[in-house]
Amino acid sequence: MAYSEKLIDHYENPRNIGSLDKNSEDVGTGLVGAPACGDVMKLQIKVGPDGLIEDAKFKTFGCGSAIASSSLVTEWVKGKTIDEAETIKNTDIAKHLALPPVKIHCSVLAEDAIKAAIADYRAKLSVKKDESKEAAE
Amino acid sequence: MDHFARLGLPAALDLEPAALDRVYFALQRQWHPDRFVGRPPEERSKASSEAAALNDAYRTLKDPLSRAFYFANLKGIEMPTDGKTIDDPDLLMEAMEAREALHDAETAQAVEALAAQARQDIQCALGSLGSLFLANDGAVIRKTLLRLRYLDKFAEEARARHTNLERVKA
Repeated sequence: MAYSEKLIDHYENPRNIGSLDKNSEDVGTGLVGAPACGDVMKLQIKVGPDGLIEDAKFKTFGCGSAIASSSLVTEWVKGKTIDEAETIKNTDIAKHLALPPVKIHCSVLAEDAIKAAIADYRAKLSVKKDESKEAAE
Repeated sequence: MDHFARLGLPAALDLEPAALDRVYFALQRQWHPDRFVGRPPEERSKASSEAAALNDAYRTLKDPLSRAFYFANLKGIEMPTDGKTIDDPDLLMEAMEAREALHDAETAQAVEALAAQARQDIQCALGSLGSLFLANDGAVIRKTLLRLRYLDKFAEEARARHTNLERVKA
């Protein structure tokens, strides 16, 4: 099977590997898994005061396509708003990396991971709002 | 015909390995292509498809883990298929931490300790399935099977890493 240059590049030089403090209130963490192959992927975003994603990190234990997909997503989301980041589709990832059909599920995993990270960040934000509302009352 | 029926065994989680071998080898002799040389083409083709189905049944039922997945499927437990993702936080946290520990393990001995723990966890989870099926608790069975998938994957990764570390040493 021939893999694209972009895929191999992301696999051999993955961007943004690492972790952010998951307890920090400006960090959203998405943890998802593909049970069929036993892959697990963690993707985190740090949102700045201006509402833009200022940092993104990932840790993926899985095949090369899963690593490349999550690496690419961390690169794409930086500088975007969370609403923009939320529109990333697995088909965009698969197309960019030219994933073979059997590896499409890796791009689904990366899409679900960024969505989960955004959902986690939003949940933290709404707790914060509730708390400040209570404090004001 | 399901794999248990094909081998003339009752559908069950627990199988005596020796009993499975016995029925398999007896049936395999019965359908062996060598016995059908010179027979009409329909019979030869029937024999080869029976032999293939027997192999498939044996392979699936021999391994306790694949047998558990197969048995669950017969009982109507649906597992996420390829392309579906899960977000069970406890399971994924456990899987992530285990894989990180394996990634950080520097010696064959450290890797072996992690692998031994995984094997023990697999035995323990497999052992719990019997009573879960008796209680017919679909949600917990599904959760346990998913965990087994991850533990199995971990054990496989640990074996690969162990081999690599041994090779570097040699």
